[in-house]
Amino acid sequence: MLRLYRCLLLLYPADHRVRFGKEMVAVFQDVHAEATAKKKIARIFFCLRETTGLLAGALQEHLRAMGATPVWLPIPTRRLFMRSEFRFPKATAVLMTIILAGVVMAIEKGEGIVASLSASPHFHFFPGVMLMLGVVYAAGVIGWAILFAMRRSGVHRLETSADQK
Amino acid sequence: MTSGCPKSNMASYDMSLKVIMEPLPLTEPVLLILLSLAGQPRHGYSILKDVEQMSDGRVVLSTGTLYGALRRLLDDDWIEPFKEQDNSRGRQAYRLTARGRRNLQAEASRLKHLARLANLRMVKEA
Repeated sequence: MLRLYRCLLLLYPADHRVRFGKEMVAVFQDVHAEATAKKKIARIFFCLRETTGLLAGALQEHLRAMGATPVWLPIPTRRLFMRSEFRFPKATAVLMTIILAGVVMAIEKGEGIVASLSASPHFHFFPGVMLMLGVVYAAGVIGWAILFAMRRSGVHRLETSADQK
Repeated sequence: MTSGCPKSNMASYDMSLKVIMEPLPLTEPVLLILLSLAGQPRHGYSILKDVEQMSDGRVVLSTGTLYGALRRLLDDDWIEPFKEQDNSRGRQAYRLTARGRRNLQAEASRLKHLARLANLRMVKEA
């Protein structure tokens, strides 16, 4: 990682490297030593944060060197530096995946039943109606899942507390 | 529009802005870096940790972001290098200049004013 960091530092203008390069490497070594003791996901975020920080920083320094006024990059790198207060429950992601899988299976099953019924000479069913029912059912389930997720995340409490104030 | 906000406070706020004429408002990371240096001179790693601690882990700066901000602050004369006795590991400490401190105070006043205004308005709404 240190080697990659040094390589990315080469993207900076020479004057910035001369002025801050040694210092940045020293600080990075300290931060990296601390990050290696953390969990894998934290280490991945650390690598992403440092890489995007260096790339964005190098671009800004080049723009500055060209005499351009400081600009904020359109890519949302701040998301990597600033963590939102909002916490999405992990269980919701699992639950929504299960629900989605259920909906997909139900639609496939429905389509299979419609196909078998339409093939039968004694029974004529309307596939369009079945498809519409399936879509309405899926929309209902997804809507319920979103409402359930919002309730689990505590969004409704914000409204309640605002009303109380 | 200005009901609920004392006129004298508003006037003094405008006055302070005119006197200072500095680029405010500051972004949250820059504000936190300045606040970190307000207490004592610090080097890069110490600033990173202090910013993280002050924001309860919400703002975690990368070294690229930190040194981009430090360079801007140095160029604008808001901070200056501070000579430490031990800088053997390439650690350079920084401290606020008088100008930086004045601008930080102006930003704090601006935020205080906004918070007071928000409180007044929200109490009125309730």
